[in-house]
Amino acid sequence: MRFAVAHKTATYLMVGCAYLAMTTGGGLSPVMSFGGLVLMIASWWWEPPRIRYERWTLMWTILSVFALAYAVLTAVVTGDFLGVGGQFLVWLVIAKAFNRRAARDWQQLYLLAFLMLVAGSVLNPELTYGLCFLGFVISSTWAMTLFHLRREMEDNLLVKHAADRASERVEVRRILDSRRIVNGRFFLGTGLLSFAVFLGAAAVFLALPRVGIGFFLKNRGGLTLAGFSDGVKLGGHGVIKNDSTVVMRAQVTAKVGGRDAPDIHWRGVAFDFYSKGQWTRSLKAPRTAETVEDSPTVDRKYLMWDGPAITANQIDQLAGQLVEQDIWLDPLDSDVLFGAGQPRIVEYQHVLRPRKLPAQYNDEIRLTHGNTVHYTVWSQLRPPPPEVLRASAGPLPKNFGVYLELGPEITKRTRDKALEITRGMTNNYDKAVAIEEWLKNTATYTLVLVDPGEQEPVDFFLFDRKKGHCEYFASAFAILGRAAGIPVRNVNGFLGGEWNEYQGYVAVRAGDAHSWDEVYFPGAGWVTFDPTPPAEIDQLGRGGTGWRAKLGRFLDTLKFQWTKWVIDYDLASQLELFKSIGTAIKDAALAAKAGVLRVKDEAIEHWPITLLVIGGPAGLLLLRRRRRGAPDALTGGRPPRRQRGAVAHVYDQVAKALGKAGMIRDAHTTPRELATRMAEREDPAAAQVGELVELYYAAEWGGRTDPAADERAQLLAGEIRTALDAAKKRRRTGFGRMPG
Amino acid sequence: MGLWARLRRRLRPPRRLSFTREGRIIVVLSVGVGFAAINTGNNLLYLLLGWLLSFIIASGILSEMTLKRLKVERRPPPRVFAGEPFLMEVVIQNAKPKRASYSIEVEDLAGTTPIDKRCYFLKIPAGKSQRTSYRHTYARRGLYTLTGYRVATKFPFALFRKSRDVDAPLDVLVYPARVAVPRPAPKTTSRGETTANRLGRRGEFFGLRESRSGDDRRDIHWRSSARTGRLLVREYEDELARRVVIGVDNALPEAVRDAVKDGALTPAHEAAVSAVERAISVAASLAAAYLEVGWTVELCARGTHIPAGNGRLHEAKISRALALLPYVGDEVELAAIPAKVESVLVTPRGVSAQNRPMATTVMDV
Repeated sequence: MRFAVAHKTATYLMVGCAYLAMTTGGGLSPVMSFGGLVLMIASWWWEPPRIRYERWTLMWTILSVFALAYAVLTAVVTGDFLGVGGQFLVWLVIAKAFNRRAARDWQQLYLLAFLMLVAGSVLNPELTYGLCFLGFVISSTWAMTLFHLRREMEDNLLVKHAADRASERVEVRRILDSRRIVNGRFFLGTGLLSFAVFLGAAAVFLALPRVGIGFFLKNRGGLTLAGFSDGVKLGGHGVIKNDSTVVMRAQVTAKVGGRDAPDIHWRGVAFDFYSKGQWTRSLKAPRTAETVEDSPTVDRKYLMWDGPAITANQIDQLAGQLVEQDIWLDPLDSDVLFGAGQPRIVEYQHVLRPRKLPAQYNDEIRLTHGNTVHYTVWSQLRPPPPEVLRASAGPLPKNFGVYLELGPEITKRTRDKALEITRGMTNNYDKAVAIEEWLKNTATYTLVLVDPGEQEPVDFFLFDRKKGHCEYFASAFAILGRAAGIPVRNVNGFLGGEWNEYQGYVAVRAGDAHSWDEVYFPGAGWVTFDPTPPAEIDQLGRGGTGWRAKLGRFLDTLKFQWTKWVIDYDLASQLELFKSIGTAIKDAALAAKAGVLRVKDEAIEHWPITLLVIGGPAGLLLLRRRRRGAPDALTGGRPPRRQRGAVAHVYDQVAKALGKAGMIRDAHTTPRELATRMAEREDPAAAQVGELVELYYAAEWGGRTDPAADERAQLLAGEIRTALDAAKKRRRTGFGRMPG
Repeated sequence: MGLWARLRRRLRPPRRLSFTREGRIIVVLSVGVGFAAINTGNNLLYLLLGWLLSFIIASGILSEMTLKRLKVERRPPPRVFAGEPFLMEVVIQNAKPKRASYSIEVEDLAGTTPIDKRCYFLKIPAGKSQRTSYRHTYARRGLYTLTGYRVATKFPFALFRKSRDVDAPLDVLVYPARVAVPRPAPKTTSRGETTANRLGRRGEFFGLRESRSGDDRRDIHWRSSARTGRLLVREYEDELARRVVIGVDNALPEAVRDAVKDGALTPAHEAAVSAVERAISVAASLAAAYLEVGWTVELCARGTHIPAGNGRLHEAKISRALALLPYVGDEVELAAIPAKVESVLVTPRGVSAQNRPMATTVMDV
């Protein structure tokens, strides 16, 4: 590839990656993002000789002034400085891409690309940012390297000198068009380098201590999705959308979350008050009873439900008996936290805890979070056995009367229907099961809504339409239950989720939102009842086994890892990571030690084999060496090295000393030529060197062996060294010895 | 070199780093992004910070790899004259078997300071060498020592300029400046003291004649013999017949010599020094001019004497002596100029001195 084209391509890749990193998160309007991209691509061809930049300077200046004024006004009016800043950045990049005149413009383009990446860190926390970042790292390595070489070329460094004429500059254009400077090996080498840079960045990222206070952290805000909502309102018409956006990922054991395991009810919000087709939390509802243990790193809550508080040790013991879930919850419209079945213990980072805890009712867990939140829940999944529930008796705890209240708008036929279904039954459990079964068998599930008009929605569902979605079933169960004297509350959350076999977690999507009920049994606690027909509720399913489903799960795994290891990487994750690395190193060291000891014991026990294993190869090696060393016409053994005589050794030492003194003999210069040159220059000890060289020639190549020559050579070497030392001392007296 | 200087030299780090403009920008950006990351807790900013830091580290590692196993050889021209530009050839060899080196700068060092010229190599392929040269001028004669060279690179991202100083002393002897000087007209012939055009053994070429018995075989001119079919031998003029003694007065008053040593020359001192330097240049140019046409030249100066001789080697000897000729006081005697021989004494104009000998020609320059 031609140098100039390679540089331009790398630069455009770099800027393009940064641009996509900023815009793909949806922080900027799609029209502006797409328009900017198109203009940036168009700028590729906007260059001489096609275009003369100076003709367009005025136009760009005027447009830039307008863009600045528009950005300032919009920012002041809307207050969205980040979004407007991002838009202005897009303009600057386009303006610069259309005006690539000098090295300075390229440099500014790189700086703008980096600023886009910074803006993207706030505007786009999605996986796309990570992919664009990887592209940016690779292309920026190419672009910056090539830019450096280009600028060095364009500077006054490439000057060709000649003794017989004036120095002349090398034609830079010729080098820019050269294909010899950068080739495939260059790109491969720098590509590997950039990969190393990426790994380095990852290592630094993981190692940098997370001591941030999050003072200026901008919350992403909740996702408005079709599915879960922090309230129930029956009525209306239309079709409920099935949103497959993953909103929560919960790491659980495959036994609990696997594809064959029963669906999990991810409990979120609970309501006690029903009026005019709407479920809400009344002020009379019991507050969520909990104990809180806070430490510098994590806060742990124990949800008492209707029981007493217990000690920390008892909580630890209880955690061992419950099902643990590590949950990453994306921001929703609600600040509620979800947990499987009946959540009992919740643990989250201390830094997440707000100064003022939000009010919590009906055993809900709430925690304000603007970004993906990571927490751990220990839950009770299995209800007590039916016989225990049947035997349940006793008074309701204080304030639990709200779970029996029915408004005056509940029709008589609804109340009568409840009595009719539960007629002859003596305990609440049988009554609840009977109502649940009756609803499952009588009504059918549909996502198509029909407006009940002025009619009471539950009455309309039970006696007229007999079709509805989960909220109708759950509401009907609660109303019928209360009419039958059972304390019931309405619960909203998610049901099921897709099991991800790659990372062992359940991906819960917005479309998995569900509504069900909880019935209170004195002495046994709250028990989940789900009156919605089971065949209908699983709209999104637990995940198929086809390649599309597998690919989808794999992509979700990447997203999850991105969230887990990048977006939500915090001090606790860091400590956990270091701890696991430390443990791994310790385990490896112990394993190595044990292995060495085992080998040693085995070696001692089976010493003849050991002797054979060690002695055999060693003997073979020795034999091979000996055979190599011996001259052997048949095997073509290496001939012995030529022995150098005493004069040659003396000459070698003198040559080394001369080299240190700056009188280096080039490969193309013979020793005699060097001696002659020294004599011409009147270098110190030139005469002695000349004589030694002649002795060396005679001894080494003339086949002359004379002990007197050896002695003479030693003597000459001494004289040469003395002369060189004297010259060195003279030189130390100063640079550029001048007369006077 | 004193003990302290030697100690400092030993403790000098093997590599030097200096920030470029881009490097300063990257450092400022790193600090800014780091501050923002800590304040916001935004992990993507931590990721950017990680990239910036590893970018800097990679830059350091790669520049180190670039500088490794580079061998530099400087080749000055055989003769360097004061005031005349010369080309110093610089050959750089990349001894790395598999990796090319990019963007290499080589500078000669005078002491620890680079001289004002440097050579740039865009790419040195693996196992290959490249050569270039720089043009330099020494204003004054003398022996200059380039103590070593500095190999530097800004590769790969121009964030830093990393350099390595290598001790490789190289002496450059700068001969006196060459000036155009006409040879003075011979004066001894008119006095009849010597005879010119006398045949000698190894003088300037005189002519050809037929070979006679007893002629040296080395004198046979084979090309002419082959052309004419007769054995012809060369005849030479007698060397002694064209001999000149060049004297130069290198005396300077003590006050001027002290000022030269201290480097505190007044304009008057400058004028005196310039006059002596001019005299030395004229003497060197005269010697070269005489030797060029085959004369035998002897050099006399205060404290220095080069016996008569001719040929290129002798010219080098005289030039070297004049290049290193020190300033002395006029108490040092100028070697006596023999009588009956053509002689030229070059004296610095405006500098008076005692003990100047007589010469057939005196040039006050």
